[in-house]
Amino acid sequence: MKRSAILILLACLMLVLFEGSLLGQEKAKFEQPVLITSAGQSADVTIAGMLFKKANVQTKALPLAKPADLDGIKTLVIVAGFSSKGLGAAGISREQELGRVQSMLQAAKEKKLKVMTLHIGGKARRGNQSDDFNKLAAEASSYLLVVKQGDEDQFFSKIASEKKITIDLVDKIADAVQPVAKAFGK
Amino acid sequence: MERHHIVALCALIVVGLVCTIAGREFLTMYQPDEILAGPGVTEVRLLSTYFGPLAGTASDTKVYIMDSGKPGATALVLGGTHPNEPAGFMTAVLLTEHVVASEGKLIVIPQACNSGFSCTDPLEGYPQSYTIQSKSKLRTFRFGARASNPVPEWPDPLVFLQYPSGQQLSGNEVRNLNRSYPGRPEGTATERIAYAIMRLIEQEKVDIAFDLHEAAPEIPIIDAIVTHEKGKDIAASALFTLEMENLQYALEMSPVNFRGLSHREWGDNSHVFPFLMETSNPIQGRLRGKTGTSLIIQGVDERYFEAAQLGTMRITYDLAGEPLARRVGRHLRGLNALFGAYAETVPEKRIVIENIPSFEAIVRQGVGQYLN
Repeated sequence: MKRSAILILLACLMLVLFEGSLLGQEKAKFEQPVLITSAGQSADVTIAGMLFKKANVQTKALPLAKPADLDGIKTLVIVAGFSSKGLGAAGISREQELGRVQSMLQAAKEKKLKVMTLHIGGKARRGNQSDDFNKLAAEASSYLLVVKQGDEDQFFSKIASEKKITIDLVDKIADAVQPVAKAFGK
Repeated sequence: MERHHIVALCALIVVGLVCTIAGREFLTMYQPDEILAGPGVTEVRLLSTYFGPLAGTASDTKVYIMDSGKPGATALVLGGTHPNEPAGFMTAVLLTEHVVASEGKLIVIPQACNSGFSCTDPLEGYPQSYTIQSKSKLRTFRFGARASNPVPEWPDPLVFLQYPSGQQLSGNEVRNLNRSYPGRPEGTATERIAYAIMRLIEQEKVDIAFDLHEAAPEIPIIDAIVTHEKGKDIAASALFTLEMENLQYALEMSPVNFRGLSHREWGDNSHVFPFLMETSNPIQGRLRGKTGTSLIIQGVDERYFEAAQLGTMRITYDLAGEPLARRVGRHLRGLNALFGAYAETVPEKRIVIENIPSFEAIVRQGVGQYLN
């Protein structure tokens, strides 16, 4: 009897440990409703919207979202990358955009929302102007999905490693559909 | 005759010879480029058809109509808005000489800023022309300036006040067609071109319009599709298609507060879906070295390769460079993908263009293979 109890206890312990290790490898699970916003006002936010649609995940895309737009939202998706034309189209300055993104991330943290960052613009969305936005968004995320061309210098991989953030690197934007679907359990 | 008279006479003869040679060179820039209308062209008009006062001026230019005779969308393609961006011009020439519309109507203006083909930009050391071996002969095309020829519009103002926004730009931008939309009938020569193009869009009921450009490899808006907010879904869909074929394009939105550009003013002042495409052209760049015709055609510059090695470039630049064939191929493939995305969005108004060479074919065979 005593032996059986020890064996059951050991089996339970193994199961817990095994499941724990599985969870450690698993990507963070995300839930709908989803709000997509930009960090840097690149038009990649439009492409991200199409990408989520292809992954069968319903989203609300607001490139200039404010913290109040997070009401009722469970996942915040940040599409990172700077565009001077995009800022011009939005009619805001780079500093205003940085402030907006910081306030969104702060609000998401307070509301305990999960944050996912997408970087799909490759080299065009890297460099000094973009990297402030890229770093800000990436460090606040629990999952990074990056098109490889934007990580040739391991910019995102290093952040992921240092901050223990799950990262997926894909060859093309179209290849990001499957990881998005998986992240939402589709 | 005394000795100093002989010396003076000789000097005069030498000066006369130099002036004659230079003058002949100068005047060759006024010889129009030969564009040989292909099987798809159903009519050739002048831009002045849409705005009479352009007739007989250096700004008037040919408009090639390819009407399938079948219902569908009407598309407009502009090349040569900036005549020093040859991929835009050559793409429009290739369309004119090679493709056929099988649904809808295609209108092509290869030299939108015609007077800009009659000069080059000072201090740039640009060649005046370049040659391409076509199927039938060696063709020569002028390499022009960024803006209209300054002579008919001289002098430039110190500050250009864009009409009607009042936006202030540097004086020489007064001759930049892509700052002059929507134009005005009593404006400068360049504003009149813009006005005529707007009238064409209106009278021909153009549904989808393209302005083909190039830019220096180091600028941020490169290998890109720029569009008005109403065209973003079409552009995003096209971008997906292109990416599946390993052709990366950045999607950029037209700034609302930067006035006078085609993608902004066409979109705001007509019902057209506007798209501007940019390829990477090393001869326009500040890092470039030797500036000759091979840089136009081959697009190979070691300094850009060095810059890429140093990680300062936002596009991939390898020792193969950015040849004209590749740049024209990107424009053509981009156009075709946008035609397809437009047809998905507005299925009742399709435009189908036959004979557009694939990107791979044009890179492999060169532009000349598709010219008459």
